[in-house]
Amino acid sequence: MADDKVMIIMTSGPDTPRRCATPFFFASLAAAMEYEVTMFFTIDGTLLLKKGMAETIFPKEGGKPVSAFIQDALDAGVEFLACTASTELHDMQPSDLLEGVKMVGGASMWQIAEDCKTVLTF
Amino acid sequence: MSNVRGCNLPDDLYYLVEKHVWAKPLEGGVYRVGITAVAAKLSGGKLAALTVKTKNIGQEVKQAKSLATLESSKFVGPVPAPLSGVVLRANEKLAADPNLAISDPYGEGWVAEMQPTDWENEVGNLAFGAEGIAAYQAKLEAENITCS
Repeated sequence: MADDKVMIIMTSGPDTPRRCATPFFFASLAAAMEYEVTMFFTIDGTLLLKKGMAETIFPKEGGKPVSAFIQDALDAGVEFLACTASTELHDMQPSDLLEGVKMVGGASMWQIAEDCKTVLTF
Repeated sequence: MSNVRGCNLPDDLYYLVEKHVWAKPLEGGVYRVGITAVAAKLSGGKLAALTVKTKNIGQEVKQAKSLATLESSKFVGPVPAPLSGVVLRANEKLAADPNLAISDPYGEGWVAEMQPTDWENEVGNLAFGAEGIAAYQAKLEAENITCS
């Protein structure tokens, strides 16, 4: 049902650690509410999906790394999509991405957005 | 009330052990439901929110599906329904003080009241009485969970 789909577009990345926990938390929460959740990563957000990167980013000093928030979201069943153009922006190869992340073009983002009741951008 | 590995587990509740939730019969075939002391412990001990999805009120939620959500700094996840049923009402006190679900999980901190829709078939999935407490204890031991 289209009513049960939501999307979070993630543009924030390693330069703004404090913006990198809540989007994953909200995604996990939506999954817990039984929404079908997609996170679409573009601009600097894609860098968070680079293997080894999220472990080094801490939204709060002494707190959990972004990788833990990512793992919570993946465990909750959130689908991760990386924008192909943004991987090129950062000279990333498909093999640089975390396991389970799919690469899609911008047109996919538009199609998913059309199916979703709510789209949030961070 | 049994104390299992530091977790208080009343003997008169039906438990969906896998999901750490309980159900208690009230009058008129209605069941009150909530989280166990084990769920309270696993959530990290201090809640930011415990929210019953408004859309669920008046609707049927299936057993083990998300009835509410629980948020803490350590954890975010669903509160699954211990039984299939129509959600009659949510505990409004939790909006003001979600930590009632931690401090008094079987009393003031109940989550919702439900009218079962498939109790006869589902009661077999729930742990009850001394045998039920033993089953819950086995799970806590297998997963090395304690509440103390």
